[in-house]
Amino acid sequence: MIAVQAKRQATDLAILGGSALFDRPRSTSNLVRPDIETFLAYSRQFFEAGQLTNGGPLVTELERRLAEFHRVEHCVSFSSGFWALALTMQHLALPGRREVIMPSLTYRRMADIAAWAGLTARFCDVDRRSLALTPETVAPHIGPDTALILGVHPVINCCDAPGLEQLADRHEIPLLFDSVESVYETIDGRKTGSFGQAECFSLHASKLINGFEGGYLTTNNTALATHLSYRRAFGFTSQDTVSDLGTNAKLNEMHAAMALSGLDDIADQVERNRERYRAYQRAFRNIDGIRLLPFDENERCSFKNIVIELTEAWPIERIRTLEILNAERILARAYYDPPLHRKKTAYPTIPASLPNTDYLSPRFVLMPCGHLVDTNDIQAIADLMRFISENAATINRERG
Amino acid sequence: MHEDSAAPRLAVLGNRPPAFSSPLPVGQLNFPSWEKYEQNFRAIFERQYYTNQGPLTEELEAKLADRLGTRHAICVTNATLGLIMTAQALGIEGKVILPPFTFIASAQSLLWAGLSPVFCDIDPATHHLDPTRLTELLDRNPVSAVLAVNLWGGSCNPPLLTDICKARHIPIYFDSAQAFGCKVAGRPVGGFGEAEVFSLHATKILSAGEGGCISTNNDELAEKLRNIRSSYGVRRPVEVTKTANGRMSEAQAAMALMNLEDFDDLAARNRNQHEQYRKQLADLPGIRVIEPHGVDVSNYQYLICEIDPPSFGLDRNTLHQALRAENILARRYFSPGAHRCPPFDTLPSAAGQDALLATDALSQRVLQLPLGARVDSTAIETICALLCEFHRHAPRIAAHCKDAR
Repeated sequence: MIAVQAKRQATDLAILGGSALFDRPRSTSNLVRPDIETFLAYSRQFFEAGQLTNGGPLVTELERRLAEFHRVEHCVSFSSGFWALALTMQHLALPGRREVIMPSLTYRRMADIAAWAGLTARFCDVDRRSLALTPETVAPHIGPDTALILGVHPVINCCDAPGLEQLADRHEIPLLFDSVESVYETIDGRKTGSFGQAECFSLHASKLINGFEGGYLTTNNTALATHLSYRRAFGFTSQDTVSDLGTNAKLNEMHAAMALSGLDDIADQVERNRERYRAYQRAFRNIDGIRLLPFDENERCSFKNIVIELTEAWPIERIRTLEILNAERILARAYYDPPLHRKKTAYPTIPASLPNTDYLSPRFVLMPCGHLVDTNDIQAIADLMRFISENAATINRERG
Repeated sequence: MHEDSAAPRLAVLGNRPPAFSSPLPVGQLNFPSWEKYEQNFRAIFERQYYTNQGPLTEELEAKLADRLGTRHAICVTNATLGLIMTAQALGIEGKVILPPFTFIASAQSLLWAGLSPVFCDIDPATHHLDPTRLTELLDRNPVSAVLAVNLWGGSCNPPLLTDICKARHIPIYFDSAQAFGCKVAGRPVGGFGEAEVFSLHATKILSAGEGGCISTNNDELAEKLRNIRSSYGVRRPVEVTKTANGRMSEAQAAMALMNLEDFDDLAARNRNQHEQYRKQLADLPGIRVIEPHGVDVSNYQYLICEIDPPSFGLDRNTLHQALRAENILARRYFSPGAHRCPPFDTLPSAAGQDALLATDALSQRVLQLPLGARVDSTAIETICALLCEFHRHAPRIAAHCKDAR
């Protein structure tokens, strides 16, 4: 049973002094819990091998399984998606060039990643409907200093990967995908994993496959996979030979055991995610000012993330809406705010005028999802949103 | 000197199977009991808190700070990232001095942080940074910091090096990847300089599988490090150049906490194994076990020896080959020195610098032998007996290996 505190009047809202709707936070992190017995059975394998890292049996098995899952030749695992991206960007960037084209409406650390790779972020706009970069939004930014295009899939559905491939091919610019939110998806029926030169994924606990922490790269480019598997382990190409600048970005065996357990459960998880998404569809059907972003069900979807748009009819500012929700222990988050081109950074980025991004960035909210959210919670959240909408005048006055 | 006329039977000569049926690695490779592991991970699954500065990471940080006697212990993904983050948090620019006789990650961390390494040779007697050379180098070469390294469960004399740097107003920080649990003049390694970075890798005495810990008494630096690590675990937002995603997971923290409970037993085991090697190799010519230098308490986590080819009868590489043939995975740490590895061999900052003769000579002589969870006294006895055999039959082995090449 859930502990829900019903709201009768505006002052029942936690932000106005009432009790919080939920007893424990409902977050936007997936936090999927695989079967403990499966996890322990995998753990037995590295215990018996006596190996906790450095290419142990489970990392090897995970890479094999993920390559199979994405139908690509190679998978290279990393300690995080962040460092998978940094190393891959650095490897793929055209020599002597510095700019990596990426959307501004994306992960708040993305320009940091480019900076670690020694590259400069050049932000492009996104499409108003898909929230994704498109060949049309990328093309104007291609120039003599373009080293790489980073195609980032939005959290709901995918960007036009084939279109970006054509654009990149035409300009002979390498194309890398950040597919962190698109592990399970297909594009024109083809699984993510083999688009562009490579795709990077995350195994962070908040993602579709929970590996505690971790990340991986998929590619059909053997040289890339080989090179990065050296560079994630200090650049050793044989026991005593360092051939290139490396670092430590190895995934450990415990994390691999967790990711394997999650991979075993992935089809069932997607079913559970679908139920939650259906519950959101039902509960949010007729709330004025709220549009639930639909999954494109002509493709395969993970149904993991839930995003709503606050339209003109929604009576309260997004920032205030988030404050109200967070006080109720609904850890809804802005998607994304500020966009990267509006952020001050200690390293250089290329200024850009991005009207769609500016229009979109104050409108969207990531809603609670994942393992710790059930259909009753979703109904309670929808009821609360209605309540907020109905009491908007009072709320705005009280908070004014 | 004479050689037995009967052909010795040794794996390296191809006339018998290896002495060990499965490979013997050199690292600590400490594991908790399965029961403890199962119990801890069932608890994590109950709690459903997997990463982002969870309760186990908090507990580990508190325990490590307590043990190291520092105001802050900041746990990270691994020690390399810890070194990169520390260099960045220190806000240093330009050149940084470090010894070339170190694991390659020490030097790599500087390049990732946008810094230029300048190598300073070691004292061959201690294997550590030579304070005299460091002083000379500092006096004629403006640098922004010194990254000193503590090796082999010993120390580089942190109080002296700190004084040298302090007199010149240059920050010093330490790669203490191998020094967890060591003490210098009664003080735990961890509180020297601006910060120290420990490795919690599986090969170290305190294993998180992969992992690292940065210790510091500098509140401002600690807060920068927490901000660089990620937004989780931040106590106060401060401006940083860029974030690095260096979190430690609850799985890593659980592993480290379990191994920390066993720490005293592990250190005692290491000490016993070290002593056994030392005793059994005491009378063998041409092989010298390196005692942890400059510490009054050591973790004895590595068994390092130096080979003198004329007296042992074999050079280090041939001996390495003979050991590997017996399934003893001895390692040539550190060979070659970092200054001879790409890209450091061609860096402009390395041009015109002094020849690193001590490092070059030592890197031809060092050998690491198995010590840790995967060996017992019988195995060490076998290894030492084999080393005696290799010495006894050195000419035949040398000739065989030369022919094979």
